[in-house]
Amino acid sequence: MNRIFILTPLIVLLVICIFSLVYLLSGKDPNKPPSALLNKDVPIFESSSLYNAKDIIKTKDIKNKKTLINFFASWCSPCKIEHPLFFEIGKKYPELYLLGFNHKDPTSDAKKYLEDDGNPYDFVGVDSDGLIALEFGVFGLPETYLINEEGKIIYKFMGPITMDILKNEIEPLL
Amino acid sequence: MSSLVGFLSLVFAIGINFYLFLSRYIFKFQKQKFNLFIRFSSLLTLLSFFSLMYAYVVSDFSNYNVFQNSHSNKPLIYKISGTWGNHEGSMLLWLSILSIFSFFFSFTKNIEDNFQKLTLIIQAFLHILFGLFIVFTSNPFLVNSILVNEGLGLNPILQDPGLAVHPPILYAGYVGYSIVFSIAIAGLFQNTDDEWLYVAKKWSLISWTFLTGGIALGSYWAYYELGWGGWWFWDPVENISLMPWIAGLALVHSLMMVRGEQAIKKWIVFLSILCFSLSVFGTFLVRSGILTSVHSFAADASRGIFILLIFFIVTGFGFLVFLLKEPKKSNALNLLFINKVSALVINNILMIIATLTILLGTIYPIIIEVLYNKRISVGGPYFNSTVIPIMIPGFLLMSIAPILSWQTNKINNSKKYVLAFIILSILVLIQSYFLDFNTWGFVGLLLGFWIILASIIAIFSSYKIKINIKFFKIINPHVAHIGVGIAIVGITCSSVFQNELDFNLSEGDKFNINGKTVLFEKIETTNEINFQSLRGKFLFDIEKNQSKEIEAGKNYYPVSKMITSEAGILHQWNKDIYFILGDQKNNEWFVKVLINPFVSFIWLGVVIMMYSGLIAVSRR
Repeated sequence: MNRIFILTPLIVLLVICIFSLVYLLSGKDPNKPPSALLNKDVPIFESSSLYNAKDIIKTKDIKNKKTLINFFASWCSPCKIEHPLFFEIGKKYPELYLLGFNHKDPTSDAKKYLEDDGNPYDFVGVDSDGLIALEFGVFGLPETYLINEEGKIIYKFMGPITMDILKNEIEPLL
Repeated sequence: MSSLVGFLSLVFAIGINFYLFLSRYIFKFQKQKFNLFIRFSSLLTLLSFFSLMYAYVVSDFSNYNVFQNSHSNKPLIYKISGTWGNHEGSMLLWLSILSIFSFFFSFTKNIEDNFQKLTLIIQAFLHILFGLFIVFTSNPFLVNSILVNEGLGLNPILQDPGLAVHPPILYAGYVGYSIVFSIAIAGLFQNTDDEWLYVAKKWSLISWTFLTGGIALGSYWAYYELGWGGWWFWDPVENISLMPWIAGLALVHSLMMVRGEQAIKKWIVFLSILCFSLSVFGTFLVRSGILTSVHSFAADASRGIFILLIFFIVTGFGFLVFLLKEPKKSNALNLLFINKVSALVINNILMIIATLTILLGTIYPIIIEVLYNKRISVGGPYFNSTVIPIMIPGFLLMSIAPILSWQTNKINNSKKYVLAFIILSILVLIQSYFLDFNTWGFVGLLLGFWIILASIIAIFSSYKIKINIKFFKIINPHVAHIGVGIAIVGITCSSVFQNELDFNLSEGDKFNINGKTVLFEKIETTNEINFQSLRGKFLFDIEKNQSKEIEAGKNYYPVSKMITSEAGILHQWNKDIYFILGDQKNNEWFVKVLINPFVSFIWLGVVIMMYSGLIAVSRR
């Protein structure tokens, strides 16, 4: 009985270490939580263009083409870091549809941001109240989703995209 | 240049420790020579640390670490604190503090030579493990491959005086337990007399006091810097610091009470190993980036695996020695219905359950994600509804524990206590009736005040009041408990009776807080050395001549493009009025005002606990 009591810490230690090791080795990354939406249909959304309120984009408009959705804002500094990469993606994969959602941003700030840093998106949708982000389960900005031709989310990344991530994780899916 | 000096002295220090470690088996040393080597390696480690600090102070951007984390425009104090404001530097700080503890321990008198030597050899072993970790995965002395004139800056949220000193003090607590760990293991290997218990007591008190200070500083920082109006968020990193704190508390109490009972001695060894294991586990969780929190640095799997290995070796070694060399049993505990020993046992059981509950809540998300590939987060509601109820019986017990007897069930002056408890309950009930009744508020206030009152009664009825150092040493346990009582009152009031007011205001508007008129004077923007500040200025209580000015706002750091919020806090002895400036909309500013009653009591309680910790170090 006493022996078991003394053995307990070692057993607990072993369990903790095994789980931590599996976690680390499986390449899990706190920036990449398993999304409940992965391999599910893209949520239904409807958003107007930043530049023309009458220009509306809906879920069905992105069917039948691969789409990269990026949530960004002018006040989000990590967004600024990943911003130039979208130009490269656009250049390299002209058939990929780049959809940006401007998240909780005053229109003037958003426009100025895209003027200063350039606009890599095919369409910039406004998500001023954050409802679309809510539908997508956005944790924090920036967040990026890849949607396939069937309208299923096949990839999600939290935080700024880097060259490595683009090369190793996104490009194989394109 | 300084980077080279730093790196070489680090490697040299690890080498010396390796040599010392081998000396147990191969080269035999005299005590004097051995101690000299230990001190020399400590100084080398410190030299390495100060070389890094020097590189920060002179903004030597040829060092990659300095380039990544500093900027020449930063004020001097943040250049210095930048040394440990990043992963690599903070690990070097960790190692330096380990060395400092070894250094001072080598001067300890009154313990057997072989015992001291063995303790220091275990310290040397730890030094090697963490030293190699730094050299191979987290080297702060890497050379910057590009030529630059300017650095990338320090995380602005860390540019704060409170936070500049938070990590060293916290680490002094964590790493201090390494000595306690080494002493305990050495004690298992060499069944010497009980002298080592007194040595262990001193060091565990020192560590615990530092840990208390470090946690309090961190939580005070969160209170005024994060701008959320609270001071404890059950963030994983907070939990990690709380676990060794509670286990350390159990350890300190067990050490105070040891009177030759083998069972307690065994328990002390267990707690000593546990405290340091939890510290290393905490280091692993934070450094591997396995948990997301405000403290996360860049995640790196190789680092994580290395430090997991260290955790496994250290903890596994500790508990294995405990298993194999377990102290032999002899006389049983003198357990009665209510005496000092039984109170101690109950207190220890509760603290261990609380520690395990926090541990479970902290690692549960990892286990679930491995098993089900789902991410969950365990937060405040879990911890509040599990940890707090577990602690409540312990708090009740602590009010009377110091006056219990060793041998009998008798409590002196028990009538006085019963009477005081009844009167106090009625008073608190009346108070709760006039304010909105809240169960937690009632329980918390009653507990807090009861601990204070019972301790005061104990002081006055058990000892002759004298004003000298000896008297303060004798009443020290009661003083410590009064500190806890005061902190409980503060915690209860500030969390249960917090009041939130929201306003939309234009400049020049007047509004009302608790019957006092407040003027929203103006918005002011200024350019500081390394940031731009936006401040809303408020005049509190303008009807009086001595109205108080409060500034709340935000800072924008252009180098790292980050915005931090700066809460404006008006401290009064019985409440903090906490201003948060929100966003502007249609020329109106959103202003949130939180009234946090008796927050100052928390900090006062913590200071009293730390004072008692220090007094207890000097008491034998």
